[in-house]
Amino acid sequence: MNYLKKALFLLLLCPLACKKPTEDLKIVVDNNIIKYTALIHVTDALNPSAALKNGTLTITGDNAGDLYEISGKKQFNIVNGVITIGPGPNAMPKDTSETYDVQVNVPGYNSLSKKITFTNGQMQQVVNVALTKVGNNSTGTQPGKPLPVNDQVTLNFTGTCAKRSDLVIRLSMYVFYRESDSGAAFQYLGYMDKGVITTTALETGKKYDFQVTYDGKAYNTSQLLAGTNESLSIAMGSEICNNF
Amino acid sequence: MKKLFILPLLLIVLCKNANAQISYGEELPKSVRINMGTQGIGAEFAFGVLPAVSLRAGADFIPVSANNVFSVSGFNSDSRASASFSNVHLLADFVPFKGAPGFRLVGGAGYFVNAKGKITIQPKDNYTYGDIQLNKDQVGNLNMDVNWKGVAPYLGFGLLKAFPNRAFNVNLDLGSYFLKHPDAAITATGLLAGNESQSAQLQRNLSGYRFLPVVQLNFNFKI
Repeated sequence: MNYLKKALFLLLLCPLACKKPTEDLKIVVDNNIIKYTALIHVTDALNPSAALKNGTLTITGDNAGDLYEISGKKQFNIVNGVITIGPGPNAMPKDTSETYDVQVNVPGYNSLSKKITFTNGQMQQVVNVALTKVGNNSTGTQPGKPLPVNDQVTLNFTGTCAKRSDLVIRLSMYVFYRESDSGAAFQYLGYMDKGVITTTALETGKKYDFQVTYDGKAYNTSQLLAGTNESLSIAMGSEICNNF
Repeated sequence: MKKLFILPLLLIVLCKNANAQISYGEELPKSVRINMGTQGIGAEFAFGVLPAVSLRAGADFIPVSANNVFSVSGFNSDSRASASFSNVHLLADFVPFKGAPGFRLVGGAGYFVNAKGKITIQPKDNYTYGDIQLNKDQVGNLNMDVNWKGVAPYLGFGLLKAFPNRAFNVNLDLGSYFLKHPDAAITATGLLAGNESQSAQLQRNLSGYRFLPVVQLNFNFKI
């Protein structure tokens, strides 16, 4: 009978010892549906660090229907002077380049038209647009502040969803940064590919604010860089989370 | 692979030993069996080596699959789970109580030539990202693969007599194989490619999945 008990115990041991196979597993989704992107960075021509009012982008031309905001939507809202656009998956540049006519509109500023070209193989580009105020055509554009050079730091960003704890988003977006509590304007840092960005612009031991924009909204996170390889998470709100 | 060859070699040696005993006039029982149970279906050759001890060698296989046993919340998907196990094994039956020949302790080992589990999750139909409609290939799919291939000891007990008194009988095996630590991996494509980074977590979750319970009916034909 003792043997019988031991044998039964063996049979019962599996369900007692085994974790659920999917325990602590999350669904990881990439947001790089739009593979070719252009960051349009809009600034005041006379005062590049000034915060611009939110504006819009107007796409014109026969191929206007191919362009999307990075959220996959047709709403082109500029927030904090930043918007990311690109051709949809069915309109990616293949053998030739594709040019789009874009007009930048910010209240109080003269609208400016730009031609943005997406070329096969060049997946990212930054288009700086300096706007002049209405009634003031002075274009005393100041050169962008160069990024500092420090030791290389790798940041691993994870997009999280408050209402979907089982979902993690690997972000492919343009990142802006500033030193925390500096009061400075956000400065362009670079492009993070599938959540990863390596840069020499940051200094370990300092705390920074990071910002990305998506669907007309800005998302921020702050972190003290203790080492040269840091993991950060950005609460991405409902827009991107509802997209998956 | 060496172990795969050791089992039949051992079987031949034991068979010779059994024949030797028979030649001395002490006829020990032999039977062929068809097995059906949690291991699938299989066949065995069994023979007595001592009055209370018998050996059996055989093979079992089971291919099973099921659709939509898993669902991913918020992800309109189809899932398919499949498992495939096949083994060759050598087991010994020992009757511990002379007065209870229908109760046997069973021990031994099997070599799992194939011991795989697989779960595939893929989008059910087109997927919408903002105003963009993505097809199934653009969304991609996700595969979880687990492999227990290798040698596994077996322990259990048997009910009812090991050999038929006449031409045929049925007996029962209850026990478990103790499988090796599984190798688990996630592979994914398209927008789900990032899930490959969770292979280590899947491996940890499945590290305790080592018992393969056996509940098996054996149909024995005396030879």
